Amino acid sequence: MVDHKDAHEDILLAPIAHTGPGFYWTVAGLSVFILWGAIAYLVQFYYGLGVTGLMQPVSWGFYVTNFVFFIGISHAGTLISAILRLSRAEWRRPITRMAEVITAMVLFIGAGQILVDLGRPDRILNVILHGRYQSPLLWDATSISAYLTASLTYLYLPMIPDIAILRDRLGKWKLFYSVLALGWTGTEAQQRVLNRAIAIMCVIVIPVAISVHSVVSFVFSMTLQPMWHSTIFGPYFVVGAIFSGIAALIVAMIIFRKTYGLEPYLKPVHFRYLGQLLLVMSLLWFYFTFAEYLTGYYGAEPEEMKVFWAKFSGPFWPYFWAMVLCNLFIPLACLVRLGRHTVGKVLAASLAIIVGMWLERFIIVIPTLSFPRLPFPHTVYTPTWVEMGEFAGSLALFALFYLLFTKVFPIISIWEIREGREEGVKEVEERIKSYLPDEIKGTA
Amino acid sequence: MALWGMVIDLDRCTGCQACVMACKAENNVPAVGEKEAKKGRTISWMQVLTETDEEHHEEKMRFIPRPCLQCDDPPCTKVCPVYATYRDPEGIVAQIYGRCIGCRFCMAACPYNAKYFNWYTYQKEQPGQNPDVSLRPNGVVEKCTFCHHRLQKAREQAHAEHREIQPGEYNTACADACPAQAIVFGDLSDPGSEVSKLARSPRAFKLQEELGTKPKVIYLTEGEGGG
Amino acid sequence: MENLHSPSAQLIRKLQWIWMIGFILLVLGIITWFIHLMRTAIWLGDVPSAAIGIPVVAIPIFLALASVVFYVFWGLAVRGRGQ
Repeated sequence: MVDHKDAHEDILLAPIAHTGPGFYWTVAGLSVFILWGAIAYLVQFYYGLGVTGLMQPVSWGFYVTNFVFFIGISHAGTLISAILRLSRAEWRRPITRMAEVITAMVLFIGAGQILVDLGRPDRILNVILHGRYQSPLLWDATSISAYLTASLTYLYLPMIPDIAILRDRLGKWKLFYSVLALGWTGTEAQQRVLNRAIAIMCVIVIPVAISVHSVVSFVFSMTLQPMWHSTIFGPYFVVGAIFSGIAALIVAMIIFRKTYGLEPYLKPVHFRYLGQLLLVMSLLWFYFTFAEYLTGYYGAEPEEMKVFWAKFSGPFWPYFWAMVLCNLFIPLACLVRLGRHTVGKVLAASLAIIVGMWLERFIIVIPTLSFPRLPFPHTVYTPTWVEMGEFAGSLALFALFYLLFTKVFPIISIWEIREGREEGVKEVEERIKSYLPDEIKGTA
Repeated sequence: MALWGMVIDLDRCTGCQACVMACKAENNVPAVGEKEAKKGRTISWMQVLTETDEEHHEEKMRFIPRPCLQCDDPPCTKVCPVYATYRDPEGIVAQIYGRCIGCRFCMAACPYNAKYFNWYTYQKEQPGQNPDVSLRPNGVVEKCTFCHHRLQKAREQAHAEHREIQPGEYNTACADACPAQAIVFGDLSDPGSEVSKLARSPRAFKLQEELGTKPKVIYLTEGEGGG
Repeated sequence: MENLHSPSAQLIRKLQWIWMIGFILLVLGIITWFIHLMRTAIWLGDVPSAAIGIPVVAIPIFLALASVVFYVFWGLAVRGRGQ
């Protein structure tokens, strides 16, 4: 009679224990795009940024858009995982690891976008040796290094008991897992240490995460440019980041649910809750966007209005309205009623949102640069194959990192699922009982 | 301590762009070539902008020569991550090509778009260049320096002769070249200098003054100023 | 299973200490970087408020992270070993 525990573990350990042809085909496919990106960057490194479509005055384009986009997606993991842990939402258990891995992997890609954007990447050490804290780029460097360290820690600590399972059960890479497992044997004392550490990390990680996208927004809002110099940027970017992060998380969940057969763990109820969260974020995003544009429109400052109309009805209108469609209307249509076809609806909404949020970053960066205050001759930014390749390569590299992670560590937290089954049920029952009024004793 | 500034009289400017050409010749500003120019990558430290009146398109046109306005509160120096651009004690906003990492944040921050980027290696050593001005490599930002090399030469000359710099000894290439004498350059901290007197004219205005950048290039025009 | 191929406990401990110390060195390196930037800005008189204010927040965060990781390392690998 197979132990219930072991059967579950088998499913979750299967991707690490066995590798089928599907994996190799996927890696081959991703490698094509990564190669495109690598060639694009080598060409750019050799000749200079002239191989892109950037010019005067649009000196920031795809790369900076991608930077904001990828850093935005990084908010999936930590915020979802930390907030759900702190609020003791039991439905988080199969989701937290997937979310945390997104954050850890995408931060590298996001930070890489800035390196790709530099005219002199060979001088990157200047930022370390001669950095200036008045510059928002240094705020970025500090904040992102803190976030990267914190999220790697926050990914690793809850993984320790699972690494111990791999150490004991898997048979291969024993030294690797043994070193990382830190001698975990599941004793009471060890459990207490780990739980306390995870609780502390939950609290540290949230303000760090919020600071990251705030300082990314400050890169724009600390300048004096029309439609950038706005106080709303900090909260706007954080909301947008959480929004795009949840969408990316859902897409990752659906992909791996299908390919690794994780339907028993990632049930429609999980997608329903995430879908509801996504709907709330969509409305919140729309509220911020509406407030921002209404304020600009009502004030009618001529230079702001030049940029405003460029987005609303001018050269950028397709991107602007596609953004609104993808970020508001499609999510509303899909997510208001999640009773049936939950997974399909949530997938459609998430894909639309990922596209929409990339467009949102594009709509923030390029129109303001395209319409400077002084009367310069008008130019149109057209990205080249180099920028497209870099974008495709970055997405593929992120996917590859994620995929490789799932082949080395379990993508769903085995011990947390077990904890949910063994202790969570009881704990929630006690908690609910504590909310209800106490038993009334007999009157005196 | 001098405070170098410039006055440009828009009522004298004919839009001939002699200042643009003189600046390019003096400062080894590269000709980027036809293909690059079509892509919008012309580098023009001094650039003449044309402003048409919105209501009377063909009737009123104004030429605005725009060098770097050498702001006293520069938005570009605030955002540079590596001290590659900074305001020196005499008011010139310097650009250090050897430090610049090409992040182009200063370009995004400048409300006058006075900064330009070397998208390729546009310059190689060749005869006919001004030996006093260094060539800029690939991937760095450059801009008008108020012909700072001329200041250095004048200062060295004055130092060798144990005296101060006389007014008129240090002049920018654009000011020298303007056939209408629309550009006047000098020490704003000297109340007797020509540039100071012109800066106090009732016709004086500053571009985008409300932004608080405190530019040291002051424009003169009859009628409605502000740009 | 194959105990012959099981890595020795000594090797495991050594590697654990190595990566733990490596992580602490990384964090100390980052903190040194912040202090270097702070000192340069103060020496140059370049917006010292920002140069002091930001490391004052960032350094404790990194110290907290290093402490948490070391706490776990100590509690699991050193003290909690083999009970």
